[in-house]
Amino acid sequence: MAKEILSLRNVEKSFGDTMVLKDISLEVTQGEVVSIIGSSGGGKSTLLRCATLLETFERGYLAYEDIVVAQPGPDGRAVYADKATLKKARSKFGLVFQNFNLFPHRTVLQNVMDAPVRVQKIDKEEARAMALELLAKFGLAGKEDMVPNELSGGQLQRVAIARALCTKPDILFFDEPTSALDPELTQDVLRIIRDLAEEHMTMVIVTHEMTFARDVSDRVIFMDKGVIVEEGTPEQVIDHPRHERTRAFLRKIYD
Amino acid sequence: MQMMSVVLPDLGAGFVLSLEIFVVTLLGALPLGIVIALARMSKFKPLSLVARVYISFMRGTPLMLQLMALMFGPYYLLGVNMGSGWKFGACAIGFILNYAAYFAEIYRSGIQSIPVGHYEAAEVLGYSRAQTFFYIVLPQVIKRILPAMGNEVITLVKDTSLAFVLGIAEMFTEAKALAASFVSMIPYVIAAAIYWIFTLVVEFILNKTEKKLDYYHD
Ligand SMILES: Nc1ncnc2c1ncn2[C@@H]1O[C@H](COP(=O)(O)OP(=O)(O)O)[C@@H](O)[C@H]1O
Ligand SMILES: [Mg+2]
Repeated sequence: MAKEILSLRNVEKSFGDTMVLKDISLEVTQGEVVSIIGSSGGGKSTLLRCATLLETFERGYLAYEDIVVAQPGPDGRAVYADKATLKKARSKFGLVFQNFNLFPHRTVLQNVMDAPVRVQKIDKEEARAMALELLAKFGLAGKEDMVPNELSGGQLQRVAIARALCTKPDILFFDEPTSALDPELTQDVLRIIRDLAEEHMTMVIVTHEMTFARDVSDRVIFMDKGVIVEEGTPEQVIDHPRHERTRAFLRKIYD
Repeated sequence: MQMMSVVLPDLGAGFVLSLEIFVVTLLGALPLGIVIALARMSKFKPLSLVARVYISFMRGTPLMLQLMALMFGPYYLLGVNMGSGWKFGACAIGFILNYAAYFAEIYRSGIQSIPVGHYEAAEVLGYSRAQTFFYIVLPQVIKRILPAMGNEVITLVKDTSLAFVLGIAEMFTEAKALAASFVSMIPYVIAAAIYWIFTLVVEFILNKTEKKLDYYHD
């Protein structure tokens, strides 16, 4: 059986009095591509933010392989591990944001190679070579010395994906990677993610692109109002949804 | 002509002192302002409150009064005689503490204008908080606050003349003495010209820096 990269179990997360994640469990094995679909406000971003330690949850368990990030304490509330463990966990994943969040004052190449050098203490020349290779692979050769404001949205998102990959994560999260892009630019970005899927990169992708999700995913999760309503192969969830809420959502998307 | 041979060297010596006050203030207040800004934004409420009160007081009372308080405070409050060299210490400390308060507010506005997403991207990439601040946030802040900082720095050029109240022989003090002894406006005119040229040089440097940072836009 394939190695389990991400284990997230029985997670509960609230903002004030509203519970945004209700008993969510998500396990992802090596090489697996999981898409998360669902209407806005359903808790998809919050789930990714909890998994990437940008938010903390009140209850549940989270681990990357054998690195336990959070687990239930004696009173049932989640207890987070120490700083060193969290740091180790952070080296296991990458996150691609909807609005890229590239650093505007650094060149494309610096954006991609800085974290490997500064955070992971990788040799500068080695990191540069790695970054250049990723950029070339993503059709960005010749853009290395440009700054983000000189690039199109599609190019920016490709740089952001290169930046996330350059730290060699075991799993990559995407939060609506094409939602901020003009329709004609989304395909470039989706093609890159498809290529990564073919190379068996482990990925969790929040997306509204149903055709893409159907093609690329091993598993599709439909989330609504903080719960996982339905989960299965793309055929099961997208083509033959069993739950009325899933059907209603898909009808809305295809209209 | 005879007058000039006295006026120019004296004003020159005064200018050197003015320049020293200017440089020492910047060297002290620019970094101190960052510290105060971070304290002001701290989630630890008492620290944030102290910084707030500090900034409010420093900006809400005259620099001249602050300089006098520093100069004579040790004697009036503690009965300590600081010696004749203290006026330079009081001057440096007064300018630095005062300007750091103004700089802190400018830093704060700059730091708060950086999108949260940049912090989050850095966090996920594994940057420490210090790395995030010095490599991601601060360089962007510098570009954003440069115009506001420039205004303060130009004000500082002229504010150095306030050291006059401490009996420090900076350029304005010299000009006043020369004007009295020669019964002439000329020393004031020359001093004004030197201040003006000084600010023009500062503006030139600021413009150069702004151009240099113009390689990117947000
Ligand atoms: N920082 C926050 N503070 C308060 N409420 C939030 C915050 N972030 C998200 N929420 C709320 O949590 C719910 C889920 O949001 P989100 O995870 O962004 O959903 P999705 O990504 O599926 O659109 C929404 O009702 C949203 O308003
Ligand atoms: Mg979202």
